[in-house]
Amino acid sequence: MKRKSPISFKNLAGILYVGFFLAFLFVPLIVMILFSFNSSPRLSFPIHSLSLSWYRALIDDELFLDAFRRTLFLGLGTAIASGIIGLLAALGLVRLKLRVRTIAMGLAAVPLAFPALLYAIALAFFFNKIGVGFSLWTTLLGHVILTMPFVFLIVGSALERFQFSMLEAARDLGAGPFHAFRTITLPHILPAVVGAMLLAMAISADEFVVAFFTAGQAKTLPMLLYGRLNLGITPALNAVGVVLLVVTTLLAALAARSTRFQVER
Amino acid sequence: MSIEFSQPALVRIRNWRWLGPWLQLSPAAIIYAIFFVAPVAILVTYSFYTFREYNFDSDLTFANYKYALTNEVFRTLFLRTIKIATIVSALVVLLAYPFAWILTFVLPKHRQILYFLVVLSLFGGYLVRIYAWRTMLGREGLINTTLVSIGLIDEPVRFLLNSQYAIVVVMVNFLLPLGVLPIYNAMQNVSPKLIDAARDLGSGPGHILRRIVIPLTMRGVVTAVAFSFIATAAEWVTPLLVGGTGDQMVGNEISYQFGTAINWPLGAALAITLIVAVIAFVGFIFGLLRLVIK
Repeated sequence: MKRKSPISFKNLAGILYVGFFLAFLFVPLIVMILFSFNSSPRLSFPIHSLSLSWYRALIDDELFLDAFRRTLFLGLGTAIASGIIGLLAALGLVRLKLRVRTIAMGLAAVPLAFPALLYAIALAFFFNKIGVGFSLWTTLLGHVILTMPFVFLIVGSALERFQFSMLEAARDLGAGPFHAFRTITLPHILPAVVGAMLLAMAISADEFVVAFFTAGQAKTLPMLLYGRLNLGITPALNAVGVVLLVVTTLLAALAARSTRFQVER
Repeated sequence: MSIEFSQPALVRIRNWRWLGPWLQLSPAAIIYAIFFVAPVAILVTYSFYTFREYNFDSDLTFANYKYALTNEVFRTLFLRTIKIATIVSALVVLLAYPFAWILTFVLPKHRQILYFLVVLSLFGGYLVRIYAWRTMLGREGLINTTLVSIGLIDEPVRFLLNSQYAIVVVMVNFLLPLGVLPIYNAMQNVSPKLIDAARDLGSGPGHILRRIVIPLTMRGVVTAVAFSFIATAAEWVTPLLVGGTGDQMVGNEISYQFGTAINWPLGAALAITLIVAVIAFVGFIFGLLRLVIK
């Protein structure tokens, strides 16, 4: 099946479809980025002049800065807790029988498929019932539940490729379990662990529903965006949206790079 | 240490192996038991509580379920929710399938970068995306002002925002990458050699698609449908922010009962009904697809 001309009708149609598809995915985000640099408050084309005034306004916005700090704290806390607990679980799981592993993988997928709204309400019920007030900490627990399956599945699949004979060789040569883990296992799975933790942070930074129901007055960046959205659309919101977008996309891109590095080894 | 060193490796491994993995799994298991299983169990018990004068006590009753299932308003909400979720899942599959097909068979050289772009768009933000669509679809929004300025329409059209169209557009936009992932991954199992062989034996494109590609990618399609359906059925931010007053979904009613109305037992009963309805519907689709394929 050889084709002479590199651009056949089929290829052209394919390129057009892919182009429209990606445009549909990215146009809303590109529009928002463009208008965040628009000096006029009108949200319509053409854009006459560019300015950074909307961003400059954010630097003096105490509510925005507080929300930004909270989102950062929440993301870091989620990544660290999910990373450690998920890594431990994945290390334990890989040494169990295949049937147990299959069941555990299936159980780990349940929170991923569970509707976020219903989980958020259930968690709010729960904290209310045990008498714990809503704060950033209650949201942190919710985010750990939402992100740990990803760490577990990503690190788990990295461990499947790991040669356990190397570990046993090290142990036979007299290395203690912690020494062997630190020098043999960890370096092999570290890219996957770091990637999974970055992914957890990206998910946490973008997560709105659980935060909305369990964070109380500790407003995160998505909650701030939601609150101001209800007040009406202003061009200042574009800048908030772009900051959030840059944070999550950067984390996700780094996560993808880190885990891809693992696959290529 | 010296004792352990003198033991044969196998005995030493056997000594800790049976307990070690379970110890390592236990923090995750405990956290899930407390902060996932227990909250969902409490949600279920609340749905049987009695609501009296803005308070609820533990007199167990089916009244909440009876109300949730028989009330006209709720029935309308459930039917609308299922309609929107069905349209969204169908559109996601119909749009994502050709995309995955083109990446795999038409533009295989560029599939890595194109796939990466789709995955990246997944992190384009949930609220950010809803917000961006609001700026585009509004009466003074980008689409209307552009259409007016090029003379295609005389005055801004209203149905773009605060309508079910808007809900469908935003949900499809949000779920499309999630639909591409499982379908694309399933399509990697379809060997081009198999297709060439079928073609050499005289099969037309329609026949190849129906007899080879679709059966081999069915698992991916089912995953995409299930994901899209579940996510749309329990959605409440999108209808709230881009839907009209008459376009609210079950999720809005649940969050209203939980928030403003403080009738938690009724909210919980609605939530459980929604979960059961979603599971039943997804199970129905699974069964239907299995029948169609065989």
